[in-house]
Amino acid sequence: MEKILQFPWQVPFGELSLRLDSLSLIFIVAVFILVLCAGTYAAGYMRQYRGKRPLGLHIFFYLLLSSALVFILLADNVILFLGAWELMTISAYFLIVFQDDDASVRRAGFIYLIASHCGTFLLILMFFLMAHHAGSMDLTLISHAGFSPFLAGIIFLLAIFGFGVKAGFIPIHIWLPHAHPAAPSHVSAVLSGVMIKMGIYGICRVLWTINVLPDWCGYLLLLIGVVSGVMGVLYALGQHELKKLLAYHSIENIGIIAIGLGVGLLGRGHQMPFLAVLGFGGALLHVFNHSIFKGLLFLGAGAVIQKTHTGQMDQMGGLARSMPLVSLLFLVGAMAICGLPLFNGFISEFIIYFGLFQGLFHLPLQGAFACALGIIALALMGSLALACFTKVYGTVFLGEPRHPGIQGGQTPALMLAPMLILGGICLWIGLFPQTMAKMAFSAGAYLSHSQISTLNMGNIFLPLSFIIYGILLFLIVVIFLAGLRWKLLRGLTIPLRETWICAFSQITPKFQYTSSSFARPIVDFFKGILFFKREGGEVKGNFPLKTSMASSVHDAVEEFLIKPMYRRLTVLSKKLDINRIRYTQMYLMYILLYLIFLLAWKLK
Amino acid sequence: MMFIVFSILSHWLIVLALSPLFAGIIAKIKAFFAGKKGPSYFQLYFDLRRLFMKNCVYSRSTTWVFRFAPIVNLAAVLVLSLIIPLGSFKAPVHFSGDILLAAYVLGLARFFMIIAALDTSSSFEGMGASREAFFSCLSEMVLFMNFITLAFLTHSISLSTMIGADIPMSWKMAGTVLLLVVGSLFIVLLTENSRIPVDDPDTHLELTMIHEVMLLDHSGVDLGFMLYASAIKLFIFAGILVPIVYPVQTGIPLLDTLIFLGGMLGLSIVIGVVESTMARLRLNRVRNLLLIAFALAFFGFVVKMWKG
Amino acid sequence: MTTWVDTSCIITVFLALIILSNYRVTAMIRIFALQSFVLSLLPFFLHAYSLSGRDIFIVIVTMVLKAALAPSILFWAIRHVSMRSEIKPILGFGSSIILGVILIAGAFWVSSSLKLPGGKPASDLILPCSLSTVLLGFMIMVTRTRAVTQVLGYLILENGIFLFAVSLFDVMPVLIEMGILLDIFVAVFIMAIVVNHINEEFEKDLASVSRSKMGETF
Repeated sequence: MEKILQFPWQVPFGELSLRLDSLSLIFIVAVFILVLCAGTYAAGYMRQYRGKRPLGLHIFFYLLLSSALVFILLADNVILFLGAWELMTISAYFLIVFQDDDASVRRAGFIYLIASHCGTFLLILMFFLMAHHAGSMDLTLISHAGFSPFLAGIIFLLAIFGFGVKAGFIPIHIWLPHAHPAAPSHVSAVLSGVMIKMGIYGICRVLWTINVLPDWCGYLLLLIGVVSGVMGVLYALGQHELKKLLAYHSIENIGIIAIGLGVGLLGRGHQMPFLAVLGFGGALLHVFNHSIFKGLLFLGAGAVIQKTHTGQMDQMGGLARSMPLVSLLFLVGAMAICGLPLFNGFISEFIIYFGLFQGLFHLPLQGAFACALGIIALALMGSLALACFTKVYGTVFLGEPRHPGIQGGQTPALMLAPMLILGGICLWIGLFPQTMAKMAFSAGAYLSHSQISTLNMGNIFLPLSFIIYGILLFLIVVIFLAGLRWKLLRGLTIPLRETWICAFSQITPKFQYTSSSFARPIVDFFKGILFFKREGGEVKGNFPLKTSMASSVHDAVEEFLIKPMYRRLTVLSKKLDINRIRYTQMYLMYILLYLIFLLAWKLK
Repeated sequence: MMFIVFSILSHWLIVLALSPLFAGIIAKIKAFFAGKKGPSYFQLYFDLRRLFMKNCVYSRSTTWVFRFAPIVNLAAVLVLSLIIPLGSFKAPVHFSGDILLAAYVLGLARFFMIIAALDTSSSFEGMGASREAFFSCLSEMVLFMNFITLAFLTHSISLSTMIGADIPMSWKMAGTVLLLVVGSLFIVLLTENSRIPVDDPDTHLELTMIHEVMLLDHSGVDLGFMLYASAIKLFIFAGILVPIVYPVQTGIPLLDTLIFLGGMLGLSIVIGVVESTMARLRLNRVRNLLLIAFALAFFGFVVKMWKG
Repeated sequence: MTTWVDTSCIITVFLALIILSNYRVTAMIRIFALQSFVLSLLPFFLHAYSLSGRDIFIVIVTMVLKAALAPSILFWAIRHVSMRSEIKPILGFGSSIILGVILIAGAFWVSSSLKLPGGKPASDLILPCSLSTVLLGFMIMVTRTRAVTQVLGYLILENGIFLFAVSLFDVMPVLIEMGILLDIFVAVFIMAIVVNHINEEFEKDLASVSRSKMGETF
């Protein structure tokens, strides 16, 4: 079920050829579900801007983005792929800068555009390298060509850096934390849910195209996954702003996916098809799951921010009482992203863990160490994610409001319905994972060039069925205990009192833990890696006056890599300016040089 | 089918019946060291009965999460107990990878306990929740490192095979590795169950608060559920540690059960002695203790890899 | 008996790791005394079935020199110059533990390609554990700023070499005597430190010159 359409196209070397295989199938399903849900959500969310901003333009770019995403997934021709990629980049830019009267939003869009184009530059290099070696622009034909290990390594590195910019690997992730908070919530959901996954899809496509990769590729992918995952969730813990926190969490989940891909690649390289299918299948299932629950979380965050008009978590609180359905759905998303049983996050993480343990037993020594590192990193990421999302949920929805003006309100049904659908899908995959797991495993088998019928997939489906029995048993016990509690408390009136605060006479909501104080022990422990800045707050004198303090966690890559590089480039370009050549003359000189080079090359 | 239901129910019966007694023995030993007569061995049973008959008081700040959390906690711990083999009683739920279900079901219980603590808008509970979130990161790392080493030793990832009826390892063959694993798991037991030197299970002061403070606002039936869940969790962790320390398999079910119960008694005495002779560590020392546990577990892994 | 040998090896390495992460001088010296005591019992375990006078001599001399004499000299030294522990360590606790376990893993990895002369050793673990102790001793020397604690790191390094040499007892007996000589040399070295009041860094910065004369270290 492969090539579905093939038409000639005027673009040189281009051809409108599309293919649909099990690898693109799972991505397409995710794209369709999320685009539809986010679009329905946007119909309710954008109502507040009606008449004030050009909504029609926004919808135009949204639809353009959706079609670009589908074309990327179906493209079988290099030019078509790159064209659709560019279309996706540009339409996403216009979606991000919707609120362009805010300078930070404009800046975020600009950073996104520059970063994406740096990535696209590497991608063009990589694709042309592949096409030149294979002699054709058709991806199906390229996959039949053999690549030398050196060339395969170069292409792999270009793919990691080129697609990694879009996917959000650390250290090339810097556009993510700026773009996601700046965009409207449904756009953030689509960005985080599916656009990032296009980077992963690109890497998967390259892995599929090049059958034999050198060994170090799997280790590199695993290492990138570990670093991205741990750093992503640590940065997320240090954030005060809700959507920036969710953006950093996406980086962490991309790390988990990369770990799965790395394990699969190691399995493929060492001729262990079961391991490869487990690794790739787990990663692809996590791709799908992440788009669902991250979409749910962003939509929920949007519903909250729409009512509170601020993204700062430390000013919210107690919203569960005024927005019960949103808080319940957000809880579903939070439990799913922490990988807790009952929801879909646990299923995909279980499959990746299972793959890592299989690799631990069967791979040679370096592979076993890498898998052990992966298991420890996954465990650390899971518990840090739990800390992060208890922080988010507890600060935003529970407790008392920390700022008197911040209230919740009624959310329109158009915004609630897609969230309900996404939450329902999370629960469905968590309790009945067979369908999606089968789809993911067939995609994994396709990616690892092995036949799924020859493998004993019962080895993974049997534990999964036991897990479902365990979860159902858990639900039965919960219902039983709830019934027991109801019976014990029946007929008694339950008194409600103030929370005990050690006999203070005046209880204010300021006594509560804020999100930064909750995360403080962890941020403190990792302060060698995180860049933690604290301003103000010194208490001087015997009767100190009112003072204020601000603390923040800064992105180390941004502070120590990008900003100094930018400063040096600015200094360098200022120096070059001294020549007093205007831009026009400089470009004419470039054209002249290129002409001379062409003449010399062709005439020799 | 009936056999499975019967084994699940009997497993739960043992766990529910014995875990308060286990906690009672530890309390008695601590009292003995303090020169007191101490509470009766069955004190926790009486406490639980009293709590189940009482009314609950709730804070106005709390939502349904606060009322739901004790149920989730107890249910999670009960499901967890089904995965742990007890002596010659095989675990009713065993499959390849059940250690992952165990760890994440514990995580589910922890999630709800933490958000229930934040629900009360009390700074005490927030403090406990924050520390709990932090220490659980470190103890999960240590736990998984130990799982990796045990998985290597027994070549399987099912808890029943690792510590259960067919233990292929023994002190003679893998003595040093087991020593390191036992030391590391003992520290994890002390951390997860809030024993001294990590936390003080008897008081609810700010200084010592990690686990205990999260129970501060629960009352009546809820508190009964939470206390029962803590007792069962302690019993389960001890049940994991005892077969590793004493992997004896005689083949006679009665003798195996007696050996297991004797091992549990011995472990409870050790815990009681450790609790009575050490003082509670400062919080950044607790962090150091967990790092030492991680170093022990990692060292065990390295030695196991070296030995092949 | 192999288990006892294995156990003492890993106790040695583990105690060296603890010393690496600990910055309090009295604790470091006490743990070092414990480590030397465990090491000095090693010839007993190695030659349990065929004890000779030489073994007992080695055990007693090592125990006296390294587990009793050297620590007491160090204690006397720090009391004599009233030295205090370092206030701001170079590496925090977490970083030292992580670094230590990486060094141990690295030592084990390197040992897999090293070949010992003279047939099969008494226990598999002696070579990697001794290499780990040597590396950890080096690391202790690198991360300490006070002279006495740097000497302690050197002593731990020397413990590692002793561990290695003891297992080659039958092949190279003279190495053991050289080791004991080395211990005596170190003791003299410590005396030299004390006599010359070098209680701070070997390289002084300008700020601390005035303080160091009277033995104050902070």
